[in-house]
Amino acid sequence: MTTEIIYSAVGEAIRTEAERVLADGTVAAVVGYTMARRKGSAQPVVLTKPEEANQLIFSAACVNNLAVYLTKAKKELPREGRIGIVVKSCDLKALVGLLGESQLKRDSLYIIGVPCVGVLGSTLQPSVELNAETVADKCRECDDRMPQGADFVPTVALPASPALEKKYAVEIARLEAMTPAERWSYWQEQFSKCIKCYACRQVCPFCFCEQCLCDRNKPQMVEGTPRPAGNLAWHLVRAMHLAGRCAGCAECERVCPMDIPLNLLNRKMSRELKELFHSEAGFEVREKGPLAEYNEQDDQSFIK
Amino acid sequence: MHHAKPKHEFEPKIIAFVCTWCTYAGADLAGTSRMQYPANVRLVKFPCTGRIDPVFILKAFQQGADGVLVSGCHPGDCHYMAGNFHARRRFAAFRKLLEFIGVDLQRLQFSWVSAAEAGKWVEVVTELTERVRAMGPMREFKDLALEEQWSGSLTTPELQEAYEAI
Amino acid sequence: MSRVGVFVCHCGENIARTVDVERVARAAEQLPGVAFATDYKYMCSDPGQGLLKRAIAEQRLSHVVVAACSPRMHERTFRKAVEQAGLNPFLCEMANIREHCSWVHEDREEATTKAIEIVGMLVERVKKNRVLPTITVPVTKKALVIGGGIAGIQAALDIADAGHQVVLVEREPSIGGHMAQLSETFPTLDCSQCIMTPKMVDVANHPNITLHTYSEIEQVDGYIGNFQVTIRKKARSVDEQKCTGCGVCLTKCPQNKIPNSFDCNLGTRSAIYVPFPQAVPNIPVIDREHCTRFKTGKCGVCQKVCGPGAVDFEQQDRLLVEPVGAIVVATGFNLYSIDEKPKGSEIKGYGEFGHGRIPDVIDGMTFERLASASGPTGGKILRPSDGKEPRQVVFIQCVGSRAREKGISYCSKVCCMYTAKHTMLFKHKVHDGQAYVFFMDARTPGKSYDEFWRRSIEEEEAVYIRGMVSRLYQKGDKVVVMGSDIAVGVQVEIEADLVVLATAIMPRQGADSLAQKLGISYDKYHFYSEAHAKLKPVECATAGIYLAGACQGPKDIPDTVSQASAAAAKVMTLFAKEQLEREPVVARVSEKNCVGCFSCRKVCPYGAVEEKEIWDRNGKLIKTVAYVNPGVCAGCGTCQATCPSKSVELDGYTDEQIVAMIEAL
Repeated sequence: MTTEIIYSAVGEAIRTEAERVLADGTVAAVVGYTMARRKGSAQPVVLTKPEEANQLIFSAACVNNLAVYLTKAKKELPREGRIGIVVKSCDLKALVGLLGESQLKRDSLYIIGVPCVGVLGSTLQPSVELNAETVADKCRECDDRMPQGADFVPTVALPASPALEKKYAVEIARLEAMTPAERWSYWQEQFSKCIKCYACRQVCPFCFCEQCLCDRNKPQMVEGTPRPAGNLAWHLVRAMHLAGRCAGCAECERVCPMDIPLNLLNRKMSRELKELFHSEAGFEVREKGPLAEYNEQDDQSFIK
Repeated sequence: MHHAKPKHEFEPKIIAFVCTWCTYAGADLAGTSRMQYPANVRLVKFPCTGRIDPVFILKAFQQGADGVLVSGCHPGDCHYMAGNFHARRRFAAFRKLLEFIGVDLQRLQFSWVSAAEAGKWVEVVTELTERVRAMGPMREFKDLALEEQWSGSLTTPELQEAYEAI
Repeated sequence: MSRVGVFVCHCGENIARTVDVERVARAAEQLPGVAFATDYKYMCSDPGQGLLKRAIAEQRLSHVVVAACSPRMHERTFRKAVEQAGLNPFLCEMANIREHCSWVHEDREEATTKAIEIVGMLVERVKKNRVLPTITVPVTKKALVIGGGIAGIQAALDIADAGHQVVLVEREPSIGGHMAQLSETFPTLDCSQCIMTPKMVDVANHPNITLHTYSEIEQVDGYIGNFQVTIRKKARSVDEQKCTGCGVCLTKCPQNKIPNSFDCNLGTRSAIYVPFPQAVPNIPVIDREHCTRFKTGKCGVCQKVCGPGAVDFEQQDRLLVEPVGAIVVATGFNLYSIDEKPKGSEIKGYGEFGHGRIPDVIDGMTFERLASASGPTGGKILRPSDGKEPRQVVFIQCVGSRAREKGISYCSKVCCMYTAKHTMLFKHKVHDGQAYVFFMDARTPGKSYDEFWRRSIEEEEAVYIRGMVSRLYQKGDKVVVMGSDIAVGVQVEIEADLVVLATAIMPRQGADSLAQKLGISYDKYHFYSEAHAKLKPVECATAGIYLAGACQGPKDIPDTVSQASAAAAKVMTLFAKEQLEREPVVARVSEKNCVGCFSCRKVCPYGAVEEKEIWDRNGKLIKTVAYVNPGVCAGCGTCQATCPSKSVELDGYTDEQIVAMIEAL
């Protein structure tokens, strides 16, 4: 039950802090989580008054990455003033990326970091206990449970992280061991499920383009229809565009109605870029990501 | 004086994305030097390898290419100083992605061919053509395209007949 | 609807021998959008071009594909012909069926099929070509020259003599640079001041040159033809308009024991000073760091003795903005200071040589001042410690240079020659003296250089010892030099009266920060990078900025002057036209789609991407988007491949054009 104790302390601290920053005018609004209708479930909320701060909660069901509310979904935010935002460390990495890509300004944010021991993999049963079975796959591989560089982080002692099987790492290794043909058929099976609902794009903090390349028809770079060739192209373009930027909030995978292992591609690319260019997304605000810079000594063993 | 060329069962389509300053010029020099190489390659000229979007490679495979070549100036020789350095990173990442989804990287070749390296151009093109020829057609993407045209199964003789008529 | 014309060239037999050109033309006719196709013996000939122009008029062609040789050969020819026929030249493409087809394949069937496909690809491409207007950029016919050493002076004089305005900016109170410090110059031993000062005076008197000494570059905006340069004119504390250069203030200043850096700190100067008697302009500067007035508020002698009332203690730094069309960078070099390790640098000092510790271990420039007739000793070689004339002088070459383990791997190029010169100057002044030189190799390429070097040995009796020095130490009033003679394989020990170190040439301090202001690149030592090592040795990759002299790499005076004149010629070429015309293959941003992530700016090698703010009618900032300056963009297209939403497109190589070619496969 330690999780519940930790998160209730976190929730308390967030409420107090949110009330304070709303009351003293530090921020114009706070984006956080509140209780949803089903028992135990949570949903994003935008608060603008100090007296609303008591609505804020934090629990293992607070799965969303709220960073997206600062860019694409910012219509709900006041246009003026600083915005407070509640972030887990994985969400914070997205914020860091967005800062580096000129989508946000640090001084217009008030970052309330959450000491995190993980969230649920599925919110179908939001009240279920957080344990080795129910925890999200991304949390199994998370080493950064305390958000770094936030404006406020509740002082809560976290227990040592349990050693859980790193499912992405295992799955990537399994796929890498296959022949190209086997991998091809694995991914075709996955991609064939895609219905091109673009929920993955909608929820991704980094898919902030006003017009997606894949929606263009002059020229049509990527087929728009949910059929095999177009599906493959979409997922490749998505993975490539996120390479070096995605820090693994795994929202794409969570929202995919067809259960395509989208984050697997992102994790693979992240690993490759780390190996090739010693670059990992989300740790510091960088002027240039790994694919926007170069080193004259970069590996070129693949080039004849 | 033409010596009889061996006829192959399968002639692959090779598409080459090249920069205009080095590799295109190197291919020109192969011509002026009257070197011989397989006729399978089709060139698309870019100002710089830095301009080459990974999507083009994808598009080339989708359009039926059996092999793709990307070639530009040697590091340090880029007409635009750094385009090829950016390209090198981009393609280092992209080929890992293609490999991961099951594309055989034997079909995708990267090379640096300078304006003086006619011989290297011939070698690169010949090698890729022969390798891809031995591998056979790039079925994967073509099959995807076929699936687009037919989403059901040919369960009745009427359908089969109609399909063949197409 | 497109009406494409396809013209298939036989190139005599060059194409027609292997490619069935008639079949290519017939196949092209069948392609959608093709209104006309024909073949002809020589498309590039006059009748061939005439055929093309007639067809454009008669067939009302909208686009043209010429299937012939490489576009690198004749694209210009055909685009010009198309333009003469009234079409935009960029609506014409060439299908290369010679270099890439007929010449590299023997099988007629194969080659013909390939030619048909190549033509097909280019037809699809040309249909997506857009009308591109030639880009013209106005040119401000005024040049900025940064640095008033021999490089800057030469460039400024050449440009000014051609009739253009020049703004010359020098950091020090006088122009002249290092050359003004030299005693005599190799290989002719003419006095440096004698050949330098007339040029300095020419600069001062030239009606086309505006000279700003004691000034620095604060900021550079704009691009080729249209730079805006902000110059900081540092407070001189002397009114340049009023000062007559009489020099009374210098003689009366009580604060007159300040080491004179022009004389490598051998002599002294007053707090109000001109660096050297022939300074241009001959206007003093108050060194506020040492001036009693500025330190304590008392004194003011100079002001009292100044007849014209030119001394102004209240003077402030001034910022001037100059619009210029071209910039010549000639910031020169510094000698590697071996006793201090530069901060944050990979370069290690030479503690073992005792420079800075042993007074009679000096660098080459200090020796120049000792040998100079206008120097602190009046041209007598007298050693710093006790003012005695040295008998035995050891010269050590390659101190810093070519020492990878010490951080510098390049050759400083001038040291072999100036050391040979030093041995001669020494011998000329101290007839019974003996010069020893420790050297790795003697590098003497250059007109009359090797002869000069041989003379130092054969006539002036300098002893050259091939080997490096391991240690120097003081013993009584001698400096003991321990080294090895690798030619003979023995250890050598010389008790010297004076040791002269040929220290490496390094770029000016602050070369990197100036480069950042200018937007030009530099190497790991901070030497500025030329656009092409062989074919563009004076141009920077940033258009409109040129390099002269040692800021680009170690150079002697003749090379520096040549490069300065070359840079001036480049500037004059630019100024020869009212408008700068350039190929319109440049990137363009769709402001509607751009979300301002500035990935394009991060990869642009030219710094062509700027920020542009989009405001609504109520004066509210909607968003900040990228803007590509067409004057700066060189058209590589790296931005487009990087842009996630393809909001930036390279004209002439748009995604539509490329995809059309791929889809024609």
